[in-house]
Amino acid sequence: MSGPMNRLAPAVVLMIDRLVWSLPVLWLVATMTFVLMHLAPGGPFDKDKTLPPEITANIEAKYHLDEPVARQYARYLGQLVRGDLGPSYKYADRDVGEIIAEAFPVSIQLGAAAFALTVLLGVGGGMLAAWRPGSWIDRGALLSATLGFSLPSFVVGVLLILVLAHQAHWFPPALWEGPRYIVLPALTLALGPAAYVARLTRASLIDVAAQEYVRVGRAKGLPPGVIWLSYLLKAGLPPVVTILGPMLAVLVTGSFVVEYLFSIPGMGRFFITAVTNRDYPLIMGVTLVYAVVIVAANLIVDLLYGWLDPRMRVGSERGR
Amino acid sequence: MGTGGKHHRLALISGVVLGVIGLAAAAAPWLAPYPFDAQDPGRLLQSPGVDHWLGTDRLGRDLLSRLIYGARVSMTLGVSSAVIATLLGIAYGLASGYLGGRTDNLLMRLLDVIYALPDLLLIILLTIVLGRGLTGMIAALSLVSWVTVARLVRGEVLRLKSADYLDAARALGAGHLRIVLVHLLPMMLGPLLVTLSFRIPAAILAESTLSFVGIGLAPPTPSWGGMANDGWAALRFYPHVIIVPSVAIAVTILTFNILGDYLNDRLNPRRASIAGRESSA
Amino acid sequence: MLPRMHETVRRAGWRGVLGLLVFCVSGAVAAAPPPAVLRLSIASEPPTLDWSLATDNVSITVIENLMEGLTAFDDQLRPMPAVASRWDVSPDGLTYTFHLRDDVRWTDGRPVTARDFEYGWKRLLNPATGAEYAYFLYDLVNAYEYNSGRLTDASQVGVTAVDDTTLRVQLKKPIVYFPSITAFVVTFPQRRDLIERYGRRWTDPGRLVTNGPFTLADWRHEYKVVLRANPAYAWGRPSIDEVRMYVINDRSTALTLYETGDLDLVPLPPEAIPFYERSPEFVRVPILRGYYYGFNVTTPPFDDPRVRQAFALAIDKSEFPALLKGGELPTNSWIPAGMFAYNPAVGLAYDPAAARARLAEAGYPAGRGFPAVTAAYNTDPVNTVIAENLQAQWKRTLGVAIAIDNQEWKVYLKRLQTQPPPLYRLGWGADYPDPDNFMALFTSQSGNNHSRWSNAGYDALIARAASTGDPAQRQRLYDDAQRILTEQDVPIIPLFVASQNYLIKPSLHGLRLNAMELLTLKEVSIR
Repeated sequence: MSGPMNRLAPAVVLMIDRLVWSLPVLWLVATMTFVLMHLAPGGPFDKDKTLPPEITANIEAKYHLDEPVARQYARYLGQLVRGDLGPSYKYADRDVGEIIAEAFPVSIQLGAAAFALTVLLGVGGGMLAAWRPGSWIDRGALLSATLGFSLPSFVVGVLLILVLAHQAHWFPPALWEGPRYIVLPALTLALGPAAYVARLTRASLIDVAAQEYVRVGRAKGLPPGVIWLSYLLKAGLPPVVTILGPMLAVLVTGSFVVEYLFSIPGMGRFFITAVTNRDYPLIMGVTLVYAVVIVAANLIVDLLYGWLDPRMRVGSERGR
Repeated sequence: MGTGGKHHRLALISGVVLGVIGLAAAAAPWLAPYPFDAQDPGRLLQSPGVDHWLGTDRLGRDLLSRLIYGARVSMTLGVSSAVIATLLGIAYGLASGYLGGRTDNLLMRLLDVIYALPDLLLIILLTIVLGRGLTGMIAALSLVSWVTVARLVRGEVLRLKSADYLDAARALGAGHLRIVLVHLLPMMLGPLLVTLSFRIPAAILAESTLSFVGIGLAPPTPSWGGMANDGWAALRFYPHVIIVPSVAIAVTILTFNILGDYLNDRLNPRRASIAGRESSA
Repeated sequence: MLPRMHETVRRAGWRGVLGLLVFCVSGAVAAAPPPAVLRLSIASEPPTLDWSLATDNVSITVIENLMEGLTAFDDQLRPMPAVASRWDVSPDGLTYTFHLRDDVRWTDGRPVTARDFEYGWKRLLNPATGAEYAYFLYDLVNAYEYNSGRLTDASQVGVTAVDDTTLRVQLKKPIVYFPSITAFVVTFPQRRDLIERYGRRWTDPGRLVTNGPFTLADWRHEYKVVLRANPAYAWGRPSIDEVRMYVINDRSTALTLYETGDLDLVPLPPEAIPFYERSPEFVRVPILRGYYYGFNVTTPPFDDPRVRQAFALAIDKSEFPALLKGGELPTNSWIPAGMFAYNPAVGLAYDPAAARARLAEAGYPAGRGFPAVTAAYNTDPVNTVIAENLQAQWKRTLGVAIAIDNQEWKVYLKRLQTQPPPLYRLGWGADYPDPDNFMALFTSQSGNNHSRWSNAGYDALIARAASTGDPAQRQRLYDDAQRILTEQDVPIIPLFVASQNYLIKPSLHGLRLNAMELLTLKEVSIR
């Protein structure tokens, strides 16, 4: 077989395997959420004012809540197959699909901005720290990384709002009206992941620097720039790159705290209100979309890993 | 991480800090100057002062007392969910790794389903069903975080299974149970301890995050995240109400993580310090 | 800390730095704003803009500014002509005939006709619509039967468009406050052609056709609703061009946005009131929202009216405003100030001696032998403050120790419906500003009467008052009913009526804030 085929074939096999497997995963996620939501106590239509029973009956009939559970499940799966996530209980005039179609791009924008910051701060900080291991820069970077890793995002967000919005008035404390409004939320979202990436980058670079061939290169008197570019980064960054896929998924799916803090109309904010309102179809819809994002991200990582690291191409444990 | 002394000292300090928090949690009823839910309508939103060292919240509740009881809640929640998760994970991982073959494949693929959802999301879904009390929250946290432990244990089993001394044990007629308990489990104590030490802060972080957005522990349980949520509404004029619990959460998680790193370096020399933890967000 | 405004100059410098982050941001980059824009915050996303389905304050506030109904309230909350220029009532009080103006148009140019009203009302009552507020029209002939599925023929429901400008309404019983109901959003006209064409999505921006002062320009869910002035508004185009309503659940955030100049009007959270009370931008409006404690009158010790009277007499309600600081108005009577038939002379005022005497009569001198009871409320800081205060007052005046207990709202509500606690907290906000809305709450057949108290005399008075046209006589009927409710049987203790507190930019003029908690924006101008 020719070279490219050799490279491609296992990747294709892997991709087909993952694609085929992702369907039952999504089905199980859908079923699991359906079961959980039907076990949940309390209904979405419990209101402040008691309704006449006839009116409650009308509402239940409208949403098919009067049908047997098996039938509701069949209806739900049937809708899913057609790509229909059903009507929302709380937002009377919209479908879950429409809500998500409107909110998801916002979360993606926020996640992408945070991702850029994560790469910038994480990889940059990690490289800075690995430049001279044990130096004060390294120790400072490590300490801030541990700190960044330990601070809950809401604490970071509140601090940023207090200092940069309330006191300095540099950035608005909320809303989503343009570039000026994306800075604080993106920074809040990025800090934890950036700390993680920084630690990983540093560890990976130091690991490579200790390898025989790098030491040989140094001994041969190659300039530091060449060592960095052709040895350290080339061998040290692939593990970092593979973590970035799941990281992007984490940023896109994990933004609900930030969206809550900054009044941003993303999916996470809808998810929180859906939970408080017991809007079960919306909860199920958001869950499913998150699952698709993560399954897709893992698929991409698997492929990327296979491409970056020939040893990992087939059959070994999945990179997580 | 850094070499020798500094790291050691940092871990020591963290241990002491955690010891103090743990002690405060255990002795909460004796230590707290007020009951955690005692309201003083005459002293709402007071700044730190003589009567109330850390001030009061908008119901006039003593923040120091709530902080101490909150430590109790966080510690209980973190430790018990981590322990339960570890036990569940050990059982599942051992079964999967030891039985191997098709069973292993099936069990691991089932884990993929859980992995297909963000941890926090899954916890939220579970608490909708299990309720937002302390037990419901512990159960939800355990049911989510055992997955990581299961994978770790299975990996260790696969690594150890082929070892010569296991063959020797088998040849000597040791039963499966004996092999697992005597030969497998003790070999993975180190990595397990490291995982455990990272599960605790992860659980505390998850709970406080959920409570902060108002879908975590239901009041009146004094939770640090819930306290921060109370403070969020008053941020503009009474920032101390949110700063007090935030600092507590940050310090607790930070010290646990430093300690975890330390344990990882000592007990898990094979892995880089980063590998002991999963990305949590 | 005083409000800081207009920091735009300093912020502008950051635009350069932010260029880095622009790569994926949609939305306007601070384009030059249109001349007159009003920016305000709403506490939540409007769950719907379909006025057959709207039940919450936010949706109703938005719809009120988009639509006109048959009638509309004036400043005193009296129903005045709107789309209907006048109306006649038949001598038996059972038939209302509304005569519509012929110059009111929908935003697509079509005239608003009586048929649009008939369609809207029948759609509200159609069981397939699943409208919660269908019961608003239950007093129409056959309305209940149609809504509950006992009758499938909608043409038998008592609302008919006689011609384009005449709407005839037939009632089951005489209702004198019916023109107040026709001012409520669920009775606004609807366009059959558009609803049938677009289905559930007829309220989308670009599709929604309205007849009020503003049109729906944009609706970003969970984020903002944008209204634009309707140039063809029959009563004259509003002076502001655009209204932006941002969804901000957190009032502290809203306040900061007000201070940074990003909002022109915000509701003020209670804890911030002391910082602004003396500001010229501070405005306080009493609202029609009563706060009360109810008794479960079926179980001892509260099955004895003397005990209930003692508990009512023992409360010094003047302590509440000092505790809550939100402009609460203590009240002994139930019909709130600002509503017809309000009578401050009715009800049991604070009288510790009488309270102790009444409790002794009931067999508990100085509280001795009083059984252990629990007062329940739903989790909320205001409720806690009140519950603790009442606990202390009852202890102090009556020598009675009451336990208090709180639950999350939905759990609490379930409990009220299935097994009401001996003492419970509740509130009631007006659906329409007529005393009937407040008083019918405690009739025997009311689903919201959790006290399980039932008094045939009271029920009869409320029914008679609903069909009594003469104001003086109607006032007397409500006074009698209020005496039964708050002096004689005392199934509830009214405590106070709430206020809403706002900060409003001084450049804003003509804003009408009424006791129904609705913002009427059509007369606003910015100078």
